Amino acid sequence: MLENYLPILIFIVVGVIVGGAMMAFGFILGPHRPDTAKLSPYECGFEAFEDSRMKFDVRFYLVAILFIIFDLEIAFLFPWAIVLKDIGLFGFSAMMLFLGILVIGFIYEWKKGALQWE
Amino acid sequence: MAFEQIVFYAFSAVLVFSAGVVITVRNPVHAALFLVLCFFSTAGLWLLLRAEFLAIALVLVYVGAVMVLFLFVVMMLDINIAVVRQGFARYLAVGGVVAILLIAVMAMVVGGDYFGLERTPVPEPIGEVSNTRLLGLQLYTDYVYPFEIASVILLVAIIAAIALTLRRRPDSRYQEPGRQVEVRRGDRVRLVSMKSEERR
Repeated sequence: MLENYLPILIFIVVGVIVGGAMMAFGFILGPHRPDTAKLSPYECGFEAFEDSRMKFDVRFYLVAILFIIFDLEIAFLFPWAIVLKDIGLFGFSAMMLFLGILVIGFIYEWKKGALQWE
Repeated sequence: MAFEQIVFYAFSAVLVFSAGVVITVRNPVHAALFLVLCFFSTAGLWLLLRAEFLAIALVLVYVGAVMVLFLFVVMMLDINIAVVRQGFARYLAVGGVVAILLIAVMAMVVGGDYFGLERTPVPEPIGEVSNTRLLGLQLYTDYVYPFEIASVILLVAIIAAIALTLRRRPDSRYQEPGRQVEVRRGDRVRLVSMKSEERR
């Protein structure tokens, strides 16, 4: 079973090597002559107006939570799709009930305007 | 087998390293990104244990969704590190006691009494049956009731998130494509029939 995942492992190793090598070469071969003007933060040529740690709008958080919920729903769909032939009508209706309950939530958020980006 | 062990130790080393960085690094955004690395290496370890579905679900759900949420929360909280580090000496006593208690509790729970190698021997390999398949056979038949409860919990989470964070901003403007398409000529143009006037 694990040999199916060998390409992924090779991909990870190659990715780490290529990414690490590029950063290492840039660090080793590039010139390092820092001074205060180079190291100071700048914003399109003039002094920075404000701290870069600004507050995000709370609606990003709402979108992220709604995304997690439907992501979990997808995670439940994978094993169901594999065994659909074996569990028959009972398993099918169990999943339809599951999806139906979540569709209620989807309709609620749609009607409430949570997906509306103003 | 030896190759698998090398992979195991590589993933474990990355996991331990990144877990250590998560709790020691100062920038919370960096901590969240190292937590992503933690999840990736844990997924690798679970894959070595033949827990395919769990590994994929960890990447899909935790790396894909939960960590995005974590990053948003970290950015939303606007953590000023200098302020957070101010009361270090003042909270050291209480924090130290709590830390020692937590370590003791974890040592009691995860210690040899319950989690030793003698307690939980390596399970027999189930052969070439995919464990995603076995999970599916159990989950949608024997455990259908908890499965439906999970959907109700998710529904509650949707409603709670919307109720807590949805704010209307009356000053903002947006388009409604449906109404734009539905519009008729009569809504925009009014034809007035009137007598022609004499030229003066």
